[in-house]
Amino acid sequence: MRLILCSNSMADEVEQQPSTNTVEEPLDLIRLSLDERIYVKMRNDRELRGRLHAYDQHLNMILGDVEETVTTVEIDDETYEELYKSTKRNIPMLFVRGDGVVLVAPPLRVG
Amino acid sequence: MDPVDVQGQSQSSSQSQGEVCSSLRERSISENSLVALLQGMQGHVTTVELRDEGWAQGRLQNVDAFMNLRMRDVLYRGHNMGHTSKLQDLFITGRNIRFVHIPDHMDVLQTIQTQLQRIHRVRTFNREGGGGGRREYCPKKK
Repeated sequence: MRLILCSNSMADEVEQQPSTNTVEEPLDLIRLSLDERIYVKMRNDRELRGRLHAYDQHLNMILGDVEETVTTVEIDDETYEELYKSTKRNIPMLFVRGDGVVLVAPPLRVG
Repeated sequence: MDPVDVQGQSQSSSQSQGEVCSSLRERSISENSLVALLQGMQGHVTTVELRDEGWAQGRLQNVDAFMNLRMRDVLYRGHNMGHTSKLQDLFITGRNIRFVHIPDHMDVLQTIQTQLQRIHRVRTFNREGGGGGRREYCPKKK
């Protein structure tokens, strides 16, 4: 069962998945990705890859089996070479506050 | 901005787990967003990661519609601190939150539904005063 918290009605009961499957607004594209693995780009050079369990109009999201990647750039003092480092960690279930989200996409495929 | 400063932007008062905020505006905001999940998590121990790279691990005492949190018995590490401090009481402004870790044992769907039911119960309680209670929305036609 899917739980959709609608922003345009005073819901007094949990609404089931709406019968319309047409994409009407950008958030509907995210609705298509429910229960799928997604890629989320966040502010401060962070990326998340996880299974989308829930979202709302602010893009607050609940992700399961998440891998967070933090990318940092170090500049060598002498050669001024840019060294990109990424740190990863895994979290089983995560609530993400929407104002940190930049974009949501299907997981990137190599090649 | 230091996230631990007390900000008076919301009217939520301290409430134990299970109690719903008495402000109509906050109830409407909560029932239409995922903040309801965090409100259902009141009473549980979680880790909250902050926007400024710090984190706080403790028991969620109260969450309001703006995601402002109060926590008890907290292990807190600020972004520029190399060590953690133990705090009895901590207030975090909603804006400063980046992530909230959800405990493994928690059923997300059930928690949200329970919280929505609590909000619904508060609303119908107001209506049951023989019509003298304040109506929050048009009655549903059956």
